[in-house]
Amino acid sequence: MNISRREFVAGWGAAGLAMLHPARMRASVPTAPVAVARCRSYGAEFLAATEKMFDQLGGMGRLVKGKTVTIKINLTGGETTRQDYLPQGRACWSHPRTVGAVIHLLDKAGARRIRVVEGAWVWPASLEEFMLKAGWDPDLLMGAAPRVELINTNLPYKGNKPYTRFPVPNGGHLFPAYDLSTAYTESDVLVSMNKLKEHGTAGVTLSIKNLFGISPTTIYGNKVPVDESAPIPYGGRQEIGHNGSRQPPKSSPPEKDPSSPREAGYRIPRFIADLVAAIPPDLEILDGIETIAGAELPRSGVTEAVSPGALVIGTNAVSTDAVAMAVMGFDPMADRGKAPFETCDNTLRLAEELGVGTRDLGNIEVVGTPVKDVVFNFREHGGPRQSRPPGRRRTA
Amino acid sequence: MAPLQNVVPLRWPSGPLEIARREKTGGFNARIRQTLERWHEPAALAILNGTPIDCIVMSWAAGLPADAEQQRTAAPLLQAARQRNLAVVGWVDGPAGHQPALAAAKAAGLAAVAFREFQGSSDLPVIAWSERADVPWDSAAAAVAITGNVWPGVNIASAGGDASSGPTSLPWLDSNGWYIQMARARLRAPLWVVFDAPGKGAVVPARSYANAICDSEAAGGRWVISLDDDLRAELAAGTAAPLESWKQTAAVAGFFQEHAEWRSYHSLGLVGVISDFTGGDFELSGEILNLMARRDLLFRVIWKSQAAGQPFTGLKALVYADAAPPGPALRRKIADFVEQGGLLVVGPGWGGQGKPAPPDFETQFDVRTLGKGRLAVARQKMTDPYQAAVDTQFLLSHRNDLVKIYNSGSSGCTRFTASADGKKALLQCLSYADGGRGELRTIWVRQKYRNTRLWTIGAQPVPLDPEASEEYAGVEYHLPANTPQSYLALEFEA
Repeated sequence: MNISRREFVAGWGAAGLAMLHPARMRASVPTAPVAVARCRSYGAEFLAATEKMFDQLGGMGRLVKGKTVTIKINLTGGETTRQDYLPQGRACWSHPRTVGAVIHLLDKAGARRIRVVEGAWVWPASLEEFMLKAGWDPDLLMGAAPRVELINTNLPYKGNKPYTRFPVPNGGHLFPAYDLSTAYTESDVLVSMNKLKEHGTAGVTLSIKNLFGISPTTIYGNKVPVDESAPIPYGGRQEIGHNGSRQPPKSSPPEKDPSSPREAGYRIPRFIADLVAAIPPDLEILDGIETIAGAELPRSGVTEAVSPGALVIGTNAVSTDAVAMAVMGFDPMADRGKAPFETCDNTLRLAEELGVGTRDLGNIEVVGTPVKDVVFNFREHGGPRQSRPPGRRRTA
Repeated sequence: MAPLQNVVPLRWPSGPLEIARREKTGGFNARIRQTLERWHEPAALAILNGTPIDCIVMSWAAGLPADAEQQRTAAPLLQAARQRNLAVVGWVDGPAGHQPALAAAKAAGLAAVAFREFQGSSDLPVIAWSERADVPWDSAAAAVAITGNVWPGVNIASAGGDASSGPTSLPWLDSNGWYIQMARARLRAPLWVVFDAPGKGAVVPARSYANAICDSEAAGGRWVISLDDDLRAELAAGTAAPLESWKQTAAVAGFFQEHAEWRSYHSLGLVGVISDFTGGDFELSGEILNLMARRDLLFRVIWKSQAAGQPFTGLKALVYADAAPPGPALRRKIADFVEQGGLLVVGPGWGGQGKPAPPDFETQFDVRTLGKGRLAVARQKMTDPYQAAVDTQFLLSHRNDLVKIYNSGSSGCTRFTASADGKKALLQCLSYADGGRGELRTIWVRQKYRNTRLWTIGAQPVPLDPEASEEYAGVEYHLPANTPQSYLALEFEA
């Protein structure tokens, strides 16, 4: 059966989900091959490696030909925060050249329209302006293919229906449904692009945690009105997402259980597990060429620039993130109390419980480079327990 | 004695008049009295040893019975000041008669007298002082001193304790920089900025004094340094640590004195804000300047009365927020600016022309193309200066940024200026927050310069080599790890 997300959201609902993913409804979880490759630089090497990995996964044409493809990139945090002197793309953000290369490859595979999206942090204007403020050249992305659009999904989507409700299959952990930008409804294929990174609250931030940024801060952000969404973002997601000190506006679904723990280590993994179940990516591209160890954003004395030199690409977010965790030196089966989930629940387990995919490496086919050949132990770098002088970069 | 145009002044509260004045205020106590008495003694001038202070500003007359006693008892202090080649300015306020105060000042050998609304003539230099609301803009005085300013810094109290300003997510910041830029664009005389350190027992660290000096100097003004009661008391007592703290503060003033030419540099801002900056127009346009500075949107102040004769060269946008429309000549000039490719942000009175060209973000303006440029006409009367500043910045687009600062502890108020001959440019970055995270900072600039030097207070300049930006046009400068957070300047040679 061939069904697009647009068709699904338009009316298939839970019944459609049962036909599309009967395995999920039986709570047995799907898996998909994950491609791994050694890649040490952006530009031509990344382009060649990614094209090869796409082929190893069966080619992109079958996934994107004639479709509207939405690429959720990761531009977390403020627009002028750097790890030491490094541009954000070499530390904590998607690298602009990886985004450009992926746009090019998806266009080459026949994508009809390509949209690059991000919920730019507390930003009341376009994604293009956010990029410009940060020092990106959006023209490089816009020129990578015809019909490229940039959308800040923290803002109300233009048109009569700024937001669309996405129910969480199997009921959800935290919320039964999420109101997201209607841009996601108009998308046939969702791509989640992120770096391999640890995360201060969620343990790791990979293709699933990247989806935290699709929840609009006009609804799930601090200081939003009680009744309706805000016209522009007023703050981050601490109040509703992290500590649950308040509910979203009444126009959006409230939490399932307001008496559940108000602790970020409990809430954030559930929030993002819900999101990946509500809107699972069709393609995950994880950049471990250059990144930071220690946290998701530069933190003095905590994070360190590292160069693992690895790429991980897959088509099931849980399985892809599981392999990525293995590349980072972590056990995707670890639960709370074990690295990297010392203070939080395992998002992959929670997403697995919602039927998104398996995190069991024994049930995931890895194609390309064996994981053991690219393992880069993040816990040997950065972090308060072993802060290093600024500016040093470790290579695998 | 240095000419008044270029002295480093220090407020010098002392003597019977100051005591009489302070007795009427809350919090007056024996320690304050003793300090004011000690500062009236010649020996107190020893705190100026090794500092660039070459001018003291003391209360001279206030229309109080203590006036005569003040002037009589000041003689030893004034004599000691003359021996140190210090300029002494007498500050006159209240109902004091101008001519008697002037005569007494001349007899006592003062360098100048500061009057409010001085009428008449004087063979002694006069400094015209005023509140912000009634500045004698066209004064030919030796200097114009403006009171009613703020103590610069992050204003925790205004932010409900968390230094967060709500929707903007930017900390509240008190700064006089925007006002100084506005005033300097109009005044012919040198500008003295007058404000006191926080009182009522507040502890004022040396860093705050440094902020206060940098905030004024970076904008081209000169603060009449004013110390808090505690510090003055401890200096009078000769306590070592406060003296060291004071020397640090004085060194900041000395740094700017050594770079006095920087105050003459003109703004490289791409946005011109046109206003008469009076009454209600000042409340809106002034606050637009304040918030543009806060957002590091570099601007140029254009007084409406002078706009017709000023070229708009180098500007990419104009903001006209005054309630009254411009006169026909200015309107024509502004319209030409738009036709040739500029952006005009203006109130609803301008009228709608051109083809609709709505931007991709929510704005209070209807945007239209006109000729090669754009008109952004407010749908309703402009009342929200924050929104005007934000919308102007986005309508202009960060594509036009001249400078970006990464990992800055900066709270905004960056200044980018150039010498009249265009051979030198100067980027001054300020941080008002205490502490600082200590991250390595990068400064990106669009233009490539031949030579660049990093100036910090108390250190020799450091040559910096540019590095090509990896992700964008322009060049980057990577600041050394030990670069102080509070103030730095990059001096460029074209």
